[in-house]
Amino acid sequence: MSGGYNEIHPEPTTFISKYLISFDHKVIAKQFLWYGIFFLGLGGLMALLIRWTLAYPGVPFPVLGNLLFPDSAGIVPPDSYAMLFTMHGTIMIFYAITPILIGAFGNYCIPLMIGARDMAFPMLNMLSFWFAFLSGVVLITSLFLPLGAASGAWTSYPTLSTMIGSPGAGQTFWCVAIFLFGISSTMGAVNYVTTVITLRAPGMGYFDMPLTIWGLWLTAILNAIFVPVLGAGVILLTLDRVLGTTFFLAGASATSGSGDPVLFQHVFWIFGHPEVYILILPAWGIVSDLLSFFSRKPAFGAKSTALAMTAVTVLSTLVYGHHMFTTQMSPLLTQSFMTLTMTISIPSAIFFANWLGTIWKGSIRFDSPMLFSLGVVFVFGLGGLTGLHLGTVTTDLYLHDTYFVVGHFHYTMAASVLLGGFAGIYFWFPKMFGKMMNEKLAKLHFWGTMIPLNGVFFGMLMIGYGGMHRRIYNPFVYDSLKRLIPINEFVTISAILMGLFQIVFVINFLWSLKKGPKAPNNPWEVGTLEWTIPSPPVHHNYDEIPVVKCGPHELGNPNLKTGRDFQYQTEELVQG
Amino acid sequence: MKRADLQSNLAMTVTLIMGAMLFTTLFMGYAIYRSASTYWPPMGFAKVALGLPTFSTFLILVSSLFCYLARVATQARKVEKARLYLHLTLILGLAFMLTQGFLWSHLKATGVYVSSGIFASILYGFTWIHAAHVILGLGTLLYLEIVLKNTSDSTIRKVINVEKFWHFLGIIWLIMYFTIFVL
Repeated sequence: MSGGYNEIHPEPTTFISKYLISFDHKVIAKQFLWYGIFFLGLGGLMALLIRWTLAYPGVPFPVLGNLLFPDSAGIVPPDSYAMLFTMHGTIMIFYAITPILIGAFGNYCIPLMIGARDMAFPMLNMLSFWFAFLSGVVLITSLFLPLGAASGAWTSYPTLSTMIGSPGAGQTFWCVAIFLFGISSTMGAVNYVTTVITLRAPGMGYFDMPLTIWGLWLTAILNAIFVPVLGAGVILLTLDRVLGTTFFLAGASATSGSGDPVLFQHVFWIFGHPEVYILILPAWGIVSDLLSFFSRKPAFGAKSTALAMTAVTVLSTLVYGHHMFTTQMSPLLTQSFMTLTMTISIPSAIFFANWLGTIWKGSIRFDSPMLFSLGVVFVFGLGGLTGLHLGTVTTDLYLHDTYFVVGHFHYTMAASVLLGGFAGIYFWFPKMFGKMMNEKLAKLHFWGTMIPLNGVFFGMLMIGYGGMHRRIYNPFVYDSLKRLIPINEFVTISAILMGLFQIVFVINFLWSLKKGPKAPNNPWEVGTLEWTIPSPPVHHNYDEIPVVKCGPHELGNPNLKTGRDFQYQTEELVQG
Repeated sequence: MKRADLQSNLAMTVTLIMGAMLFTTLFMGYAIYRSASTYWPPMGFAKVALGLPTFSTFLILVSSLFCYLARVATQARKVEKARLYLHLTLILGLAFMLTQGFLWSHLKATGVYVSSGIFASILYGFTWIHAAHVILGLGTLLYLEIVLKNTSDSTIRKVINVEKFWHFLGIIWLIMYFTIFVL
């Protein structure tokens, strides 16, 4: 194949065309990275406010309290508390994880790792970022509305999210923001799917793609199919709120027809369950690659890892009902959903075993990206195993809506994706900015994140198992929960510690950006295509489109006579 | 197939899948509302008279036909003919929107208000969402009015994609016509 959108575009010259409305996937990736890091900080601050309230109810939040809540002397008020956990969830999922993992790494890695000069549709890519930006503006604006932002949780179940449960414009702004973000995500999805299919370098079959690209590609497919489902849901919710329809309002008599609040839950989770895989698949892909790169070994069963991820992608569309076991679903349905949910363990166990097989007997280099990847293996293992309790109907009936659920999904979505994201940032920073990050600070950041992180999320599992509900403002008015005060304090202190250690990352990031030592072309000594070109790459990435001759994980080949222990994908596989 | 054509086809296919998922969600909801209620239309409401919706269906289907002819003419490199069919598609599309306006005021005149329950919600909500997409489609037709001055490969790709989207809107309307108005 030739022609099409893989030509060398002239380099932009003005500030606006270079940095603002840039069509260059590398610049758009950086825009998404900054955007995501900004919202990660905001969502993290909200998390600290939530944790403070749960451990020290009625005590003013230190330092920022009086600034944020002047009317209540620095104490988080109950209505603001509901708003905080709603916005924390929304921001972290849609405005932090999605832009960093999918927006930044997707944009940066896909063209570079498959040997393309840009995305298939550069302008659509630019629009995707600016729609996300607009959406972020709408969401932030909603924080300053008279009745505050949305407070019906990130799931926005009616009737909490109808005009009865949430008067004021906050929830409507939320719907609009999510719809705009959906447009951005689906634009990205069109681009990613098309790019991976049509712009792979000559010689690169699907199984010669790095697993990072597999993860991002499967994510894009899920995005394209399921984000519109949420889109339909929030349109109907907006119509209910603004124009007076009654799609999700129960109450009218049986004869005159009635809306159905539970229908929204179905629509939400038909999207919502694939969404959690949308978030985790890129992290799985990145980790699958990095474990191999830093163990100096080929990825164990790379093909089966790719196929297992594909199987999870397919299965993820069939299990959404396990979020709704307590909605009086028919037992026939709950058991079907339970069985399908348990089936996901099989492909998950396959690639998990492959990860362990990859590091087994490797000559492991404990550089920071590897530390974070190993961290993902640990926390995702815990998150996956606690998922079994929630996917099983009998135990879920007890654990539903407790902090156990919060602990579980933070282990899978927050911890795994956060650590995976950091692994990616430390790994690709040299390529992105042409500078090296400080390795000592990176390791400090890892341990400072990893240890308190487990304190936070394992603590959540325990208080959940102890019976604490996930959305109460002050748990200690209940006698049965008083004994959980010490663990709640422990969780909060861990969260504050973890928050403080993120400052190390910010300092390292900004300092390295300015003063970091210049990065060589291939600092980690790996063979995928992006490391064959200068750091940072030139505007059109590749002067000559590379020809791929071997897979992405050819490390530690004993037949290599080149003095390196790896070979580039552009080199013929060395045989014995 | 040339790469640009393949990219264009793929991107449009993904876009249409997205649109289909959005409307499938709506129809799934509708199926649940219908199967959960004892009477349909609910008590106090009558079926909407079929005249106006049938006429809209006729308009959008004929516009789809003209859209098809416009694409065939573009591929046959006959710009003038293609533009003529494009004008016809656009006019019929606008006429469809006009009949939708009449439908909404007819509903209001017969006492079916937006807030009168789930029956009215579906009639108004679904036709609004479809109409919003039709407006988007009319926008793409207007865009073609500007770019359809030659029959380069790039223009042909644009015409093909707009044609697919326009047919998609016609098909969605046809499903709505049969499930919401006829059944």
